[in-house]
Amino acid sequence: MTRLRPAAAAAPALGVALAFVPLVAPHNITVLNLGFFTFLYVAQGLAWNILGGFAGYVSFGYAAFFGLGAYTTALLWLHGWTPVLTFPLAGLCAAAFSLVVGVPTLRLIGPYFSIATIGVGEAMRILMLNLDNITGGASGLNLPTTVPSKGWFYIASLVLAAIAYATASWVRTSRLGLGLAALRMDLDAAETLGVRTALFKNVAHVISAFLVGVCGGLFAMYFQYLHPDNVFSFTESISLVLIALIGGLGTIWGPILGAAVFFAVQDYLQTSYPTFHLLVYGVLLIVILLFEPRGLAGLAARLAGRRRAPAPVALAPPAPGTVAPPSTPGGGS
Amino acid sequence: MTSSPLVLEHVTKRFGGLVAVENVNVEIEPGKITGLIGPNGAGKTTIFGVISGRFAPTAGRIVALGHDITGWSPHAICRLGLCVTHQIVRPFPDLTVLENVMVGAAFGGGARVAAHDARREAIAVLEFAGLAVRADQAASALTLAQRKRLEIARALATRPSVLLLDEVLAGLTPSEVVQAVTLVREICARGITIVMIEHVMHAVMNLSHRVLVLNYGRLIADGTPADVTGNREVIAAYLGTGPQEAHLWPAPQAQDAAGGPAQTGEETLHD
Amino acid sequence: MFTAQNLISICITSILTAGLYAIMSYGLAIIYGVMKVINLSNAGFLMLGAFMTQVYSQTWHLDPIAGAFLNMPLFFLAGWAVYVTLVRRVRQALPIASLLMLFGLWLVLQNVALTVWGSEDQSIITRYTYKALSFFDYRIAVTRLVVFVVALAVMAILHVVLNHTYVGKALRATVQDPQAALLAGIDTERISALAFGIGTAFAGFAGGLMTLLFSFTPDFGAPFQLKSFTIIVLGGLENLAGVTIGAAILAFAESFAVLFMRASLQNVVAYALLVIALIVMPGGVASLFGRRS
Repeated sequence: MTRLRPAAAAAPALGVALAFVPLVAPHNITVLNLGFFTFLYVAQGLAWNILGGFAGYVSFGYAAFFGLGAYTTALLWLHGWTPVLTFPLAGLCAAAFSLVVGVPTLRLIGPYFSIATIGVGEAMRILMLNLDNITGGASGLNLPTTVPSKGWFYIASLVLAAIAYATASWVRTSRLGLGLAALRMDLDAAETLGVRTALFKNVAHVISAFLVGVCGGLFAMYFQYLHPDNVFSFTESISLVLIALIGGLGTIWGPILGAAVFFAVQDYLQTSYPTFHLLVYGVLLIVILLFEPRGLAGLAARLAGRRRAPAPVALAPPAPGTVAPPSTPGGGS
Repeated sequence: MTSSPLVLEHVTKRFGGLVAVENVNVEIEPGKITGLIGPNGAGKTTIFGVISGRFAPTAGRIVALGHDITGWSPHAICRLGLCVTHQIVRPFPDLTVLENVMVGAAFGGGARVAAHDARREAIAVLEFAGLAVRADQAASALTLAQRKRLEIARALATRPSVLLLDEVLAGLTPSEVVQAVTLVREICARGITIVMIEHVMHAVMNLSHRVLVLNYGRLIADGTPADVTGNREVIAAYLGTGPQEAHLWPAPQAQDAAGGPAQTGEETLHD
Repeated sequence: MFTAQNLISICITSILTAGLYAIMSYGLAIIYGVMKVINLSNAGFLMLGAFMTQVYSQTWHLDPIAGAFLNMPLFFLAGWAVYVTLVRRVRQALPIASLLMLFGLWLVLQNVALTVWGSEDQSIITRYTYKALSFFDYRIAVTRLVVFVVALAVMAILHVVLNHTYVGKALRATVQDPQAALLAGIDTERISALAFGIGTAFAGFAGGLMTLLFSFTPDFGAPFQLKSFTIIVLGGLENLAGVTIGAAILAFAESFAVLFMRASLQNVVAYALLVIALIVMPGGVASLFGRRS
């Protein structure tokens, strides 16, 4: 994990190359829009992966952070703030909420944590839908229409993706990342070696929630209209899960590949209803779990002939001779 | 104030209706190897669990390295300088041998250690433990003896003052036992206090300066290896008779238990 | 609002709802109990059960109750197939893998349904959909009563099967201690496949019954999925009898909550209870009273 991988320069190079697109094709709205969404979800996928892949806690409730970030930006914007200046606050709001939710729920193990996050995510959506005076309730919130160009949004989104990439890479090679990997593989053993598992889990959660919150803020600025069923939706949450999983859980390239494919698929499959791509993704998910748990990144590594697979995987079975995880929700801690 | 790095006062642990450990009082001597033996189910691993913070005692107190650590979390206890190994080894399967030890080095006791410093320390520990050549292998690829060695190395990397070893010799071949015993001696020579649970009698009697015997959760003997092997109650506990029937057995001669390697797993109190 | 009559009325509604909730959650409970797998596709089969019942109703004018019973063998086979082809392969991986796989299956089921039937509200109207019985001063919808009675009957049959047949006992044994069951000669793999089949059959059955009470879309399984999970956690995760307790607690909590808050927030009760139950009492309500080991 602390070794420099040959491909380490590839992502920044790609990022720089992509930055030239708006200069080359400033009026190609389709490409700029596609780029915007792809980078936004690359950022979110990379962020989600810090908790989901590195620490192994698969959350189905990240829409709560996206939505909170979006509404923070929206409300401040309506009160006269410059949208871009609201982004740190959007992130902070999401991060604060992640602490409130994370401290109790991260004590649960694996699948129970995941189920709890579904509950929290959906509860947030319903609560937000009912807070009419703040969120505009069922009729949504209309935002000012004076915004920068599509080219600007493309670059802003790319910058967010770059920040997320840098953050995830840093976490992975840091002491925090080592601790997260250890606690993912064996929480009790990590504890006996001095890893403050509860603290690290929550730190990972807060960092990733912050990033997703900022993404929400940028989205609010772009879309200029917010509705709880949009930004707090279960579909938003599961998109992140799917992107990271299909791309390759716990890898850096995973969410990048996953988001690219996700939006390519979504764009290509323009059919009568907006979630058809989820069908494809459901099938892909099953196929990945059956045959290549390391996702697209793992597949790419296999094709490239790497002898050692990219990074630890949250789904691999425990090695023989190690203790199986406990079957109660509270686990050992 | 005692100079003992580990003191148990009236430690009791109950699981529901089962009393696993009952009123254990002991002061561990610094810098020495203390053996902890007893029949299966006597509560030895449970005591380790209580000391290491895995569970809180039902009653009693544990004082380690000048602090009352009763009820502390495992990571805090490790950072204080007390580390435990597991009876069933638990290497981190997807990390390399080096990375496994780095976890111990990065998060163990003393000042906070950054990732690259942890790497250097881990390499040093691996060399000491004789695993340096395997540093980049996946931990899941090791043999049992190597994994046990890794478990010890990892714990050692946390810079402990007290090391609790839980059956590190179980399942090893006779020559592997000899190597492991040598390693334990070398660790003690560095000034680390060791408490070891063992069933391989010749080894634990050979290594220990002092032996504690547990039966049904209670401490039934505490002394030198020679004292303990001659103790009727201990013999009765291992052979399954109650202490009241100990008079049926002839009084054994006090044996110097520094014999040669016996077969693994065979509990020999005499040669 | 807090009149005695109103409160009793709410109690009656709660009891009737509890019956439905119990039958809806049994499938999940059996699957979880036998193999510790969280079946997120339960909602998908619930939804499919509703749609299939509609198909029977439209094609053969079959009453939804009959349709629900017809679903049972069909969904049993489907569940068995799902276990054998999908779940069995990921059982030895971490538990999160099976959860994710069944989640993928749920996505597939949901979106296939959307493709086939579209996203509009569907419902089945029978001769007795709008009828109500008068019981002293209370009016009880016939549909609710019928669902309750049928659910109760099926649960009684389940109780007999679990306690008095070899298969039932093997199932309960595997729930209590899979290793011991294996040693006792029980083919736990077959029992697992059986359990998955039964669980799916119950989902299809419950879905059919629910057409009498609700209108449905391909998305409608989601809140019920979480409610089912809340129920089995409240009842004690490995306790099949606890499902009825959990169902009752949730039904009563939801019904009485409406006295204090907006009806549109009703589902939040289930979600809140779920999170609280998972954190505070993973052994279910019983663990609050009994001793935990």
